[in-house]
Amino acid sequence: MTEKVGAIGSSIPRRGALDRLTGASMFSADFRLENPLALRAVRSPHSHARVLRIDTEEASRMPGVARIFTARDIPGKNLTGIINKDRPLLVEDKVRFVGDPVALVAAETEEAAERAAGAVNVLYEVLPAVYDPADALANEAPLIHEKGNLLFRRRVVRGDAASAFSSCAVVVEETYRTSFLEHCYLEPDAGAGWVDADGTLVIIASTQNPHYDHSEVAALLGVEDGRIRIIQAATGGGFGSKLDLNMQGFIGLALYHLQRPVRCVYSREETFIATSKRHALIMEMKTGAGKDGRLHAMKCRILCDTGAYGSYGIAVASRAAVHAGGPYEIEHVDTEVLCVYTNNPVAGAMRGFGTPQVAFAHESQMDLLAEKLGMDPFEIRRRNALRVGSVTATGQKLEASVGIGECLDAIKESYEKARSARSDRGDSPFTCRGVGIGAMWYGIGNTGMQNPSTAQVEIDLDGAVTLYTGCADIGQGSTTVLAQIAAGTLGLAPDEIRMIVADTKLTTNAGATSASRQTYISGNAVRDAAAKLVDVLLTEAVDLMKVPKNSLAVEGGFVVYKGDTDRRIAFSKLAARARRKGIPLRWQGYFDPVTSPLNPDTGHGEPYATYAYACHLAEVTVDITTGEVTVDRVVAAHDVGRAIHPEGVVGQICGGVAMGVGFALMEEFKPGVTASFKDYHIPTANDMPEVVPLIVESSEPTGPFGAKGVGEPALIPTAPAVLNALSDALGKRIYHLPANLERVLEAANKRG
Amino acid sequence: MIEPLKTVPISFKVNGRPVSLEVGAGETALHAIRERLQLTGAKEGCGIGECGACTILVNAKAVNACLMLAAQMDGTSIRTVEGLAGGGSIHPLQKAFLDHHAVQCGFCTPGLLMSAAALLKEHPCPDRRTIADGLSGNLCRCTGYRQIFQAVEAVAQGEKEKTQ
Ligand code: FES
Ligand code: FES
Repeated sequence: MTEKVGAIGSSIPRRGALDRLTGASMFSADFRLENPLALRAVRSPHSHARVLRIDTEEASRMPGVARIFTARDIPGKNLTGIINKDRPLLVEDKVRFVGDPVALVAAETEEAAERAAGAVNVLYEVLPAVYDPADALANEAPLIHEKGNLLFRRRVVRGDAASAFSSCAVVVEETYRTSFLEHCYLEPDAGAGWVDADGTLVIIASTQNPHYDHSEVAALLGVEDGRIRIIQAATGGGFGSKLDLNMQGFIGLALYHLQRPVRCVYSREETFIATSKRHALIMEMKTGAGKDGRLHAMKCRILCDTGAYGSYGIAVASRAAVHAGGPYEIEHVDTEVLCVYTNNPVAGAMRGFGTPQVAFAHESQMDLLAEKLGMDPFEIRRRNALRVGSVTATGQKLEASVGIGECLDAIKESYEKARSARSDRGDSPFTCRGVGIGAMWYGIGNTGMQNPSTAQVEIDLDGAVTLYTGCADIGQGSTTVLAQIAAGTLGLAPDEIRMIVADTKLTTNAGATSASRQTYISGNAVRDAAAKLVDVLLTEAVDLMKVPKNSLAVEGGFVVYKGDTDRRIAFSKLAARARRKGIPLRWQGYFDPVTSPLNPDTGHGEPYATYAYACHLAEVTVDITTGEVTVDRVVAAHDVGRAIHPEGVVGQICGGVAMGVGFALMEEFKPGVTASFKDYHIPTANDMPEVVPLIVESSEPTGPFGAKGVGEPALIPTAPAVLNALSDALGKRIYHLPANLERVLEAANKRG
Repeated sequence: MIEPLKTVPISFKVNGRPVSLEVGAGETALHAIRERLQLTGAKEGCGIGECGACTILVNAKAVNACLMLAAQMDGTSIRTVEGLAGGGSIHPLQKAFLDHHAVQCGFCTPGLLMSAAALLKEHPCPDRRTIADGLSGNLCRCTGYRQIFQAVEAVAQGEKEKTQ
């Protein structure tokens, strides 16, 4: 098969960007509907309480109120969740966190809905609550779910860690903690809906996974699949939180009963209270190495607070377990992760699924080992870095595209310069400077589970090509990248590809926009579909040109004879010819990465078909009188396999660094306290370091044009690098994220 | 019983076009612009002046429309992202954001464009620091700001070259 690679590797203008720039893009809250009802949830003020009675009578009589729904109005199955179904759309018997919805108001205006929501009378019997995952596992702990408070346990065991420690020259053992985080996508969750003439409930949503929304809403309402249509609106970021069913179910419920247009727009406060958080982890980690710095053994115990419902907790626990050792070869591993229910807010997916948390721990451990051994932090990483042929903790042999060594080499020069600049300049009485490295690996796609994607490519009789994909672009740029992959396969320019995207009536399932999977998995599905179409065109051309297929290529809308490019036939002619023979002009592509499930006892298996790798170098300045940390510079090397759209990759890296700086230094969601950007700070333009992105391309043979993914890896190494730089500056280490002013000051005061 | 809300008649200019509206006494400028004038380019990211997604130009100054009362628009000249290009098809900032890949999800983009326009008016040749300061009221969770800085610098550079 022939390919035009001109479309690949060039930073073409992003699809849809012009509309974003002129204000023409339609986000969910921008849709104009005829007389829409406003929806507002009534949420629990208690973190654990039995619902004795919900009195909606008075509220229902208030002006402008159309109807108030409770669990009794849900015609189908009132339990949702993408991995384990444990979360009611509207609570029937008991609330499990502050913000759990118990009723839903539909009213003529936002104000009327809000007033009525305040007037719904709910009688609660407050129950003892538990907010600490260790307490939640105690025998006498209040039971949050009937099956018990332990949602999931994942072990990953390799070799014999316990005895390997005794032969280690150095061992370090520490406990690391991270906090709940809020995603803070700029667009608060929103959706809208109406009922089509044929009775279809059409739901416009800000979402990362329209096909999941579709099946969930159909199940909630107990209606056939065909009666629901989810259309992804322009989506203002997601970072994992818009993988959950947020407002889609509310909209479906109201449409089902009221048959009138509705709108549901969360306030920022509601996104803080009601949507998923990043899991807070407690990580006890013990790591041992030989004199030469080679890692021998790692033991790790992790408690993962998933809050009131499962959401993506199981995925986070599994991924944390698999990635706990970092991008290094370790012969003896003993990891156990417990994912525990508490009465905290729901923790779900957030960029990296537990990997950013464990990277903070394993990268701190690497520096501690280096210190004990008198070895350079760069050197200990380089020595242990995974390579082709390495075997991971799950027993997977890495066959190709293992770019961690290349990433480390890419930052080496900057690292050495930064180290010598730091010692040349020295510290003032009030400030000190530090340099640190953070490295990571990240499996692309879901962990040891099927996670297929599908796509269709169609040519019409004019030769125009349309790509159908269910893949939700939430700002990361998948629509552009998939157009490039289709174009690259078909020998067209990317802007010649028409696209139908993320509409469950018109496209098939591409799976979630999560796990950095869309370039690799949906990209391969698109490529498969396009390649099938190319084959049809080539076959027709062989018949006409009487030359072997391998002497033909596709280029600029023609099949051309490679020996003499003047001999060519237009796609339109070939399409018409195929059509006359009844050959389909629309082809389905499909890809599911080759993985094997993890053994429940040992964690052995091949959880991912490929991994991305990265390392960051951070330079920081600390003001020891105030505790203020300035991240001066981050050099970020990422092995993405192949950068289909290099500026898109750069954008992911810079955005990841920003989020990583927030994770490292400022972000902490305090349940029951945090409700706005006033008490939850994310990096502004003023907090940004100089970022030097370095793209490493260790081609992945199974990737589309060699590509892997970068969305989550972009974020992961920053916080570890910043924390290592901080400890380099202070001579004291911080074990609890965020390293906010108080923690930095405390560490600074402890300095010898 | 809902209290009858007082309304206020106001007249002002939006993107060069005169408009007259009856607005609620407590209504925000953002609400009036989005819901009454259907200019949905200005976004509500927080509603309390913390994110900048709602930034518009009021008499050429960048203002958080969520903090401004609709009634305060009376007699002013308002510019929203829909009118940023003026008569032209695209404003140099819009072009530079496109060329420098400064748009990811794009929810922050209209607000950032308006802040950047106000910034360049005041500082035609800003350095990085000045740009960062000028845009620090506009949160962006996607881009890490680097490509946005580059876009603003490119416009400043282009203007400088034009005047030289
Ligand atoms: S919506 Fe106005 S500042 Fe956030
Ligand atoms: S591009 Fe998404 S918030 Fe700025």
